[in-house]
Amino acid sequence: MVMSMLEDLSKATAEAVEMGGRSLVRVEGRRRLPASGIAWSEDGIIVTAHHVLERDDEIGVGLPDGTHAEAAVVGRDPSTDLAVVRLKGSRLQAPSWAGSGTARVGHLVLALGRPGERTLATLGVVSALGDAWRTPAGGGIDRFFQTDVVMYPGFSGGLLIDASGKGLGLNTSGLARGLSLTIPVETLRRTVEMLLKHGRVRRGYLGVGAQTVRLPESAGGQATGLMLASVEPGSPADRAGLVLGDVLLSLDGVRLEGMEDLLNALGPDRVGKSVALELLRGGQPKSVSVEIGERDSTRDERPE
Amino acid sequence: MNGPSEVGGRRRVNATERTNGQWLEELSTDSAEIVDRALKSVVVIRNGRRGAGAGVVWDRRGTIITNAHVAARGRLHVQNPTGSEHEAKVLAIDSELDLAALRVDLEPLSPLARGDARRLRPGDWVYALGNPWGVVGAATGGVVIGMGSDLPEMPSRGREWLALGLHLRPGHSGGPVIDSGGRLVGINTMITGPEVGVAIPIHVVEAFVRSAGIPTV
Repeated sequence: MVMSMLEDLSKATAEAVEMGGRSLVRVEGRRRLPASGIAWSEDGIIVTAHHVLERDDEIGVGLPDGTHAEAAVVGRDPSTDLAVVRLKGSRLQAPSWAGSGTARVGHLVLALGRPGERTLATLGVVSALGDAWRTPAGGGIDRFFQTDVVMYPGFSGGLLIDASGKGLGLNTSGLARGLSLTIPVETLRRTVEMLLKHGRVRRGYLGVGAQTVRLPESAGGQATGLMLASVEPGSPADRAGLVLGDVLLSLDGVRLEGMEDLLNALGPDRVGKSVALELLRGGQPKSVSVEIGERDSTRDERPE
Repeated sequence: MNGPSEVGGRRRVNATERTNGQWLEELSTDSAEIVDRALKSVVVIRNGRRGAGAGVVWDRRGTIITNAHVAARGRLHVQNPTGSEHEAKVLAIDSELDLAALRVDLEPLSPLARGDARRLRPGDWVYALGNPWGVVGAATGGVVIGMGSDLPEMPSRGREWLALGLHLRPGHSGGPVIDSGGRLVGINTMITGPEVGVAIPIHVVEAFVRSAGIPTV
């Protein structure tokens, strides 16, 4: 049958939705409208948005085949607004994920959600792509990924697909007000693995407040460092003997030219490790060893 | 048959031939033609001084379908796309469904081919037509968000709605929603957000027309 191009297009987008919808579940974990979740693996793991789950147990899950199952929270990461829940039984089909970095600004994308029985979809384009960024709560997102899709009620935790129906990431309106942001699959993978292993995303903790200061030219080419404005009593920084006025230069070989550098250096891999901290005290270079602590992940403030 | 063919005076091509990079232009032309044809069935409905709504030509006898909230009060005048205007009579009105059927003695009127809203899938392309802010014969396009009675944040549960990702504005009320083949699939009725339009699916309109005793043509 010869169809108009518009009918072809319509059929193609509807089929992409159908394909992506096979991996989309309804997540009932709050009093108001249910939200959406993505089938992560066939053994019953679902990834969804943290902010749509008001409780940890008795999470209802509506499956693509129309059946209903019970699930419980495995772990949450408020800093990236992600949560992992596990189904009793396993009847899930994970999406096929688009290759990382295939998305381009201007690409057609569809946001999928399942607040009710059926898949719902909104269409848009990729608006902006950028570098790794850090959420206000300190979570590391591998890539800035913004679209202009309408986040219909209950779409948080749902899947963003490309024109071929392949997954690009998880949509949430919980990270930035008024923006449709997508958490890319690399961040999902990292976070889900961590939540399955530890039940939480571990973040390093030093216990300092600092501000960026210009360094003297004698500091070996590094333009700025971090001058300590506070040291929390009993914190790893306190135990290592850091004092107000110290200017941090590097941690474990990572240059600290701004607060972002320190936040990035306090990743999960350094938790519990003793690392070298280079600093200036009274203008003199000094090296101390500090054991990185673990930040309480239930607190939504920025790590220091 | 290989190669481009003429169907209804329009040049059509098979998917396999669309390799020369011009297909986006062809798609755009398709889109404009579908809207252009459908607009021949869209009328302006004036209700005294209370601004204008839209309506769609339902049959050749001059039956016009619009919203109850467009037809509710005052003397109604219908203006067809050629600019002729005539007073209309209300045949049936149901404010619960927000539907009204009018009769107007006005030439020429071309009814819109009817489609099936139950066969629409999320992601299907649609257009809503009408007279937003008084701009006559305007189109807004997007995709179907969903169809059914369990859509979130709808005013009355249990009723079927068509939620659309497009931009309805005052003056779209009562105008048609058409699918990618230009067939009537719904009637604009309200918005639930600046970027979410809601329509009454065509099978609900058909049931209303039947219950009003208007013979189908």
